[in-house]
Amino acid sequence: MDLKFLVVDDSVTMRRIVINSLRNLGYNNYVEAGDGKEALDKLGADGGINFVITDWNMPVLSGLELVKTIRGDDKISKIPILMVTTRGVKEDIIEALQARVNNYIVKPFTPQILKEKIDQILQAA
Amino acid sequence: MKQVSNMSDLFERLNDLKVVFRYGQRLIPIIQSIIDFMKETVPLLEDINTSIADSTSKIPKAKDQISNVSSATELATTEILDIADSISTDLDKVDKDLKALLEKEEKKKAVWKGIKNLLGNNPDAAKLTEEFEQLDDSLSVMVNFRNVFEKIKNDVYNITLSLQVQDITSQQLAAVNHLIESVRQRLSSLVMHLDETELNNIELLNVDSNDDGTFNPDAEYTKSMDKQDMADSLVSQSLNKASQDEIDKLFS
Repeated sequence: MDLKFLVVDDSVTMRRIVINSLRNLGYNNYVEAGDGKEALDKLGADGGINFVITDWNMPVLSGLELVKTIRGDDKISKIPILMVTTRGVKEDIIEALQARVNNYIVKPFTPQILKEKIDQILQAA
Repeated sequence: MKQVSNMSDLFERLNDLKVVFRYGQRLIPIIQSIIDFMKETVPLLEDINTSIADSTSKIPKAKDQISNVSSATELATTEILDIADSISTDLDKVDKDLKALLEKEEKKKAVWKGIKNLLGNNPDAAKLTEEFEQLDDSLSVMVNFRNVFEKIKNDVYNITLSLQVQDITSQQLAAVNHLIESVRQRLSSLVMHLDETELNNIELLNVDSNDDGTFNPDAEYTKSMDKQDMADSLVSQSLNKASQDEIDKLFS
């Protein structure tokens, strides 16, 4: 399956770092969004997106709200979601898992961790 | 008798009045010192009020400066990323050319083998071919080049990964800005209580609330894997649960 990633982060720097890492892993198909709302617009407009990597803290619509919205929409509810965030408190991680993220990375991340989590999600799918 | 009683009452009242006057005389210096104290305190309070108003008016500038630092680091980070991308692209091109050259070298080797066969057992030719082969080390040099380029590419990539610090510090700065804004609001309210007119000189800004969760005040740049390990452990626990109800129960 050809994976098309949606990379969601309000930081341009972080988006570029995640995309660079994806390229290094051999994934060259991706789109970007600067917040949760823009991500939902892209998901609505582009049916080919089949993997979401999202930050938590963002303006307009947070990553957590984005996850909840995706999971509540039958058309896109099955898309795997990997959360990459600075929030490393236990309660936050639990909240994200209850919102049904597939996996969770605490920033700053290493390429090995990113690969490991993407592989785990794809294997479980 | 009644007259005597009235006089006695009168003397008693006069006595009471005398006591009051005595107390009054003792109180006068105290009241005077209170008045003096107030006279001294009022200018002091006015000074405090002016100082608070002055400090409060400077806070928006401090906030702007912090925001500028954040923007400047983001700009610098973008420039570094641009350069890193450019280096990686150039390295990819060189690597592609080297790969093509290596393929040519492999073909040249096969051709050379054919030439050597054609030359047969001529001792002069054998000496020359041996000398040529000793001089021709381009293949191993190219392989070394490729390894060095690969290392440079990895190093550049690792530099870009370190730039995650920019996102984390900008969240920390946003948290500081939020705190500063809270202090400014408190000071403004204090100034308002002290002297409402001073408030007119203070630029009132909207509070940068974190209610919308645009930053994480606890963001930190660390190499420690403790938080990731905890996340992995929690994810692993949730993966072992089949249904959402079970996940909710697990963490409730």
